[in-house]
Amino acid sequence: MSKDDEYDYLFKVVLIGDSGVGKSNLLSRFTRNEFNLDSKSTIGVEFATRTIQVDGKTIKAQIWDTAGQERYRAITSAYYRGAVGALLVYDITKMSSYENVNRWLKELRDHADSNIQIMLVGNKSDLKHARAVATEESKTFAADNGLTFIETSALDSSNVEPAFQKILTEIYRVVSNNALKAGESAGGPSLSGGKAIVIDASQPAPVE
Amino acid sequence: MSNTISIKNPQAVRSNSSSETNGLSGSPGRPKSAESKMLGDVAELNSKAIRFKKFEALLECAVVDMEQLKKLSWMGVPEEIRHTVWKLLMGYLPSNSKSRDDILKKKRGEYLEYVHQQFFEGKSSLDQALVHQIHIDILRTNASIPLYQNTIIQESLERILYIWAIRHPASGYVQGINDLATPFFQVFLQSYVPLEDVERVDVLRISQDSLNEVESDTFWCLTRLLDGIQDNYTHAQPGIQRQIARLKELINRIDAQLYAHFQSEGVEFIQFAFRWMNCLLMRELPLKSTIRMWDSYQAEGIEGLSEFHLYVCAAFLVKWSAELKKMEFQDIIQFLQSCPTATWGDRDIELLLSEAFMWKSLFGSSPNHLKPS
Ligand SMILES: Nc1nc2c(ncn2[C@@H]2O[C@H](COP(=O)(O)OP(=O)(O)OP(=O)(O)O)[C@@H](O)[C@H]2O)c(=O)[nH]1
Ligand SMILES: [Mg+2]
Repeated sequence: MSKDDEYDYLFKVVLIGDSGVGKSNLLSRFTRNEFNLDSKSTIGVEFATRTIQVDGKTIKAQIWDTAGQERYRAITSAYYRGAVGALLVYDITKMSSYENVNRWLKELRDHADSNIQIMLVGNKSDLKHARAVATEESKTFAADNGLTFIETSALDSSNVEPAFQKILTEIYRVVSNNALKAGESAGGPSLSGGKAIVIDASQPAPVE
Repeated sequence: MSNTISIKNPQAVRSNSSSETNGLSGSPGRPKSAESKMLGDVAELNSKAIRFKKFEALLECAVVDMEQLKKLSWMGVPEEIRHTVWKLLMGYLPSNSKSRDDILKKKRGEYLEYVHQQFFEGKSSLDQALVHQIHIDILRTNASIPLYQNTIIQESLERILYIWAIRHPASGYVQGINDLATPFFQVFLQSYVPLEDVERVDVLRISQDSLNEVESDTFWCLTRLLDGIQDNYTHAQPGIQRQIARLKELINRIDAQLYAHFQSEGVEFIQFAFRWMNCLLMRELPLKSTIRMWDSYQAEGIEGLSEFHLYVCAAFLVKWSAELKKMEFQDIIQFLQSCPTATWGDRDIELLLSEAFMWKSLFGSSPNHLKPS
């Protein structure tokens, strides 16, 4: 079960955004290459991992998928701690999910580490006829707020792989830069599962 | 990696025949000679028939002895009469048979009035954010069971949840409540199609009046269920937080090794048990298993349900103790996100329930008369 336990870096990433925008399906597409036709709403938090290569290094992404409904915010925001990356997802066919992006950014400012890398993700790009949020608009918004931006479809898989690759690469760049500056290597190989996450000593879990 | 977070599809692999009526399904794990198996089956059929008679005798009384009904129901309610028994256990139907028809009529009328008030102006006058949240959740409710793919059924469930939500502003609609409506809905609908598998029934053949009755009855029973666990769904969900803290304590007493292993791996109970509390384990079990489980839950009474559920969760966790103790953090979380229960039947549930009962007798708060004076 734990064959993929050899890695150079372990990064904790969170998936956030309104309910129904497709966070869980983005995660299953990335970690298992599956789109779940009978997916259910996420209650609390769910978790999956995948290992990829960046610059010849093995990076293990530990991804926490959170429930989108407002009521769960108190529980899910505890998981932001220790996260080095966040995918902030909206649905390109649902204007309100895009309008809420600012609220999600505030959540991150309030609960996450300040150096967290954030990527804005417009999902459901396959639904071209139903588009409600223009690509240019999100692009500008992202640039103004220092976020990277990409449009994806968990359904037809377009851009899912690049989205995760990109954010993990960015995180890696930041981490290895910091490590160079600090004159030490950040995180050795084969850290025991779930324990060490680079950047700040942090827990994968919220403390009750 | 064998355990991923995919939500299981337990219904798809289960046979259509209900294990309640199918007395001939032997327990798979127990090798038996054909002959002794047949004898065992005959004995089981007999005991089912006897149990059924006992239920019938109770229900025929002018005033149903609720204590007896609870006792009998704890061991499982026959499918044919489950709808009536559940309505009695939930306190929706009175134990006195004389007033039952009147009460049903009144309650059903009341609910239809709520529907009328809310919906007669059309959907545009509704709270759109709430409508949207409920709608996307109903589309994702039991998506692998044909019944729940039917738009008539979906709209019915959406009305139930919408009306419940606006009448309970302290919590409002919270994701997961959609799951809790389905056992009632399915059991009540079953009584209108007694000879069919309700999960694949042709909905168009059921009259509008019947569907309205199912919808009203589901609304009222769901309301009663949620009344008992409302602080699971209010701000910051204190009921769930408390239950998780108690579960943790309980596991420390029941299985200290597992507890220690979780501690050393950095596993927090909230990471897996949150959903167990929020959806009463429905996400971890096939729907038919949940229905069997709710026979006993309702027999425990609405007041006792949360308490008993805690012990069921403890029994459920300890069930996988041996496997879990060999795993590391990530595998533990992933295992608990999709426990291997897809093939579970009534026997597995009954085992779980009896273990929970045992833990509760051992560790539950002792009744007053047992306290040293
Ligand atoms: N067309 C299309 N539909 C999608 C896509 N991604 C998800 N969906 C659908 O959108 C609905 C919601 O998807 P989920 O992945 O469950 O959404 P979520 O963001 O995890 O929602 P919560 O768990 O409630 O927060 C499901 O019915 C999916 O089938 C996509 O890329 N394209
Ligand atoms: Mg989700």
